[in-house]
Amino acid sequence: MTKRSFHLILLTAALAAVVIFGAAACGDKKDNATPSSAAPPQAPLDQQNLVIQGGEPEFLDPQLSRVEQDLAIERMLFRGLYQLVVADGGAIQAEPAMAAGDPEVSGNVYTVRLKDGLKWSDGQPLTAADFEYSFKRECSPETAGPYQYLLGASTLNIIGCDDYFLAVDNTPAEQAALRDQVGVKAVDDTTLEITLAAPKPLFTTYLSLWAAYPVREDVVEKYGEKWTNPGNIVGNGPFILADYVPQDHLTLIPNPNWALDPKPQLQQLTVKFIDDTEAAFRAYQTGELEMVQVPPAELPVVQQDSTLKSELLTLPALRIWAIATQLSNDVLKNFDVRLALSRAIDRKTLVDVLYNGAYTPATYWTMEGIPGYQGNASFDNLIGYDPEAAKKALADAGYPNGQGFPTLKMTVLDRPDKKAEAEFLVKAWKTVLGIDVSVDATDSRTLGQLFGTGDFELLPSGFQNDYPDPENSLIGLFNSDGENNLFGCSDAGIDAKLNAAATETDNEKRIALLQDAETLVISKLCGVIPLYQPDFLYLVSPEIGGVMASGALDMAMPGNWCPECWFIKAQP
Amino acid sequence: MTGYIVRRVLWLIPVLWAVATVTFVLMHAVPGGPFTQEKPLPASVIEALNRRYGLDEPLWKQYLLYLWNLLHFDLGLSFRGDRDVSELIRSGFFVTAQLGVLSFIVAAVSGLALGVLSAVKRNSILDYAGVFLATVGASVPSFVLAAFLSIVFAVKLGWFQLLGWGGPTQLGDVLDPGAWDVRKLVLPVVALSALPAAYIARVTRASLLDVLDQDYIRAARAKGLAESVIIVRHAVKNAMIPILTILGPLAAALITGSFIIETMFSIPGIGRAFVGAIEARDYAVIMGTTLFYTGVFVFANLAVDILYAVVDPRIRYR
Repeated sequence: MTKRSFHLILLTAALAAVVIFGAAACGDKKDNATPSSAAPPQAPLDQQNLVIQGGEPEFLDPQLSRVEQDLAIERMLFRGLYQLVVADGGAIQAEPAMAAGDPEVSGNVYTVRLKDGLKWSDGQPLTAADFEYSFKRECSPETAGPYQYLLGASTLNIIGCDDYFLAVDNTPAEQAALRDQVGVKAVDDTTLEITLAAPKPLFTTYLSLWAAYPVREDVVEKYGEKWTNPGNIVGNGPFILADYVPQDHLTLIPNPNWALDPKPQLQQLTVKFIDDTEAAFRAYQTGELEMVQVPPAELPVVQQDSTLKSELLTLPALRIWAIATQLSNDVLKNFDVRLALSRAIDRKTLVDVLYNGAYTPATYWTMEGIPGYQGNASFDNLIGYDPEAAKKALADAGYPNGQGFPTLKMTVLDRPDKKAEAEFLVKAWKTVLGIDVSVDATDSRTLGQLFGTGDFELLPSGFQNDYPDPENSLIGLFNSDGENNLFGCSDAGIDAKLNAAATETDNEKRIALLQDAETLVISKLCGVIPLYQPDFLYLVSPEIGGVMASGALDMAMPGNWCPECWFIKAQP
Repeated sequence: MTGYIVRRVLWLIPVLWAVATVTFVLMHAVPGGPFTQEKPLPASVIEALNRRYGLDEPLWKQYLLYLWNLLHFDLGLSFRGDRDVSELIRSGFFVTAQLGVLSFIVAAVSGLALGVLSAVKRNSILDYAGVFLATVGASVPSFVLAAFLSIVFAVKLGWFQLLGWGGPTQLGDVLDPGAWDVRKLVLPVVALSALPAAYIARVTRASLLDVLDQDYIRAARAKGLAESVIIVRHAVKNAMIPILTILGPLAAALITGSFIIETMFSIPGIGRAFVGAIEARDYAVIMGTTLFYTGVFVFANLAVDILYAVVDPRIRYR
């Protein structure tokens, strides 16, 4: 027998494996509330055991986290000086958590007093010095925290935070000096002094976010990157990590030193890591999971089943899906072209056909569920579906009936639902305007790269808020010099409104300025053509109580802004 | 023979080097990096992150550093959670290998049985049924079959469970009956073995039919040997070479994991980790798993070559 050239075969096989790209698994997010109060009786402690769906976290280290599945679990393991909650009546607000009350403000100096007798999960005292360490850690170039901006100049603006973060190339001595200049100081065990570059009305909101959760220096130093492993990790949230099996699940148990009320009733909370929402949906039906996200494709199945239908929870996410338009493009820089593209899209039909009506058609930008929301009523007549107006706009742009219009390129995510969406859009533009748009489907990282470098013409994309305030989806995105302005939007009117909003300390005036900015962004289509606001679709077993779902606060699990509220109901 | 095996194993070194190099180049040529995301991070953050993971160095330096670490069996850390890549491969492969070995056994036994039956009872109802089953198995994609089996046998009938792996997660527990849960094992194993079983059945049938037409089989029949002796001792053994040829790569493919089956049944295996890593541009995990796969394929092919010599004494290696 001849010797086979086996290495050629395996090389080919390995190469083939390398170039195979799978479909992207993409999590959806947060939005507005339906508190379900009037607590029913609870089951005995030995039955307080809940198994739910989650995504596998990348990090359980708050200062290193950037994805929603991390934040979902960290809300269970840690808690900041303040916390975002759904108040009675449904409003979102930041209330004191580890802090004893609102900060005392004197100019740019904010003094926060901690509650007395706070403890870490291992029983050691939790002090202001722990917060000082954690904030400085977030500002450190060595940590390279992806959400350092939440404490940096564009958001909370602690003095010295950016200078320290940007000192990547400085000597250790210089870095140490810059670290000492970061404006956060533990005056005593329960007093933390934070110095900002300018007063901030959203001070307590920023300090509610994960980047400002406390971590403990001796634990981080002792275990290095393994400090979040079970057995090592120390937190101050309602739960502690009991078990972690990579790619499979994690298990949480109550933290006996949890400082706030309510105390967790669940004695064991298991989060199964499941990427495939279809698989999770089936596992919910077999009873293996008690809380899952439903893929929109399964919505008709849910609605035809009276039991499942009664267990369905629908909440608008803090996310807008929109077509990003590159204004430096010779064709797209013409406002009438963008107007024609926008007015040719029947968003209602798009949502009905592609997502079984589960999402909300949108011509607005500030999401439903947060302050300053203006809604479709304000914008439909400006950029909404109107074929005649679309044709006229294209003619005004110099392309009557699409004559002479060059072929634009649209880059989309290579996933069946997003490709179907692209087909819908291409057909709408062809039918209404008589123009051709080519579609280029690619994986999420390539898409992110093209988007991040502004290398696109049309690119449908999700815009996600990190915190429930309109400034988060406007400032930095639409100012001429905004760090995330990838569209080339440059408009003096928008700049003026956004700059004023960034420094306005009166909250009502600030929101009004942001509304004005939104109106300008939409009426000028300055970089985005909104399509719809996605919904979270959840199934929650009727056995679970205390689920106060909020699209604005939840991280991919219904009501997980308050996991300590969850409990198993007593069986009748 | 021993010299031959040693030479083949030594060949692994240049092969691993070549695969490492090509993978490294391809991986960095693909657009997007580990920190690219839909909502772009500020440039200052990307810079700090690149520094943290040594991605700010020139590519050739990163490449040499990787090879140097590889020589010390250090596969590096995953960008996602700073987890040790060799540990990730170890735990993922342990689960995937169980799934693969079980599926391989099911596929080999049912495929061979189906193929032999079809060939021996050529043109009977049994043959047609076997061919039909094999065609179905070969043409229904595994994700359709997995979804179908899940809905019928787990959701509707409630016989089986869907989440996680029904075997041990640590080597020490393999003999502990408590570590095995049949309710979680059946569906993924059936879904994964259907296609290879169909493939084996088709090759077995074709190969055996070919052998049964040979003169020496006619001679054996003329001598009045029992049909069972003819089939088992003379026909099947000689029909094994083409079957063995496909069994090697099949075994390797099965134990290196199926992204689809592992994802659909939430099994913590290496196939899911590998595809997830490519998607996330998790460089260290991509390199580690690719090299690991390379090793597995080399040894699977070597095993087949050795088996040739066992089955057919005319084959000699020097």
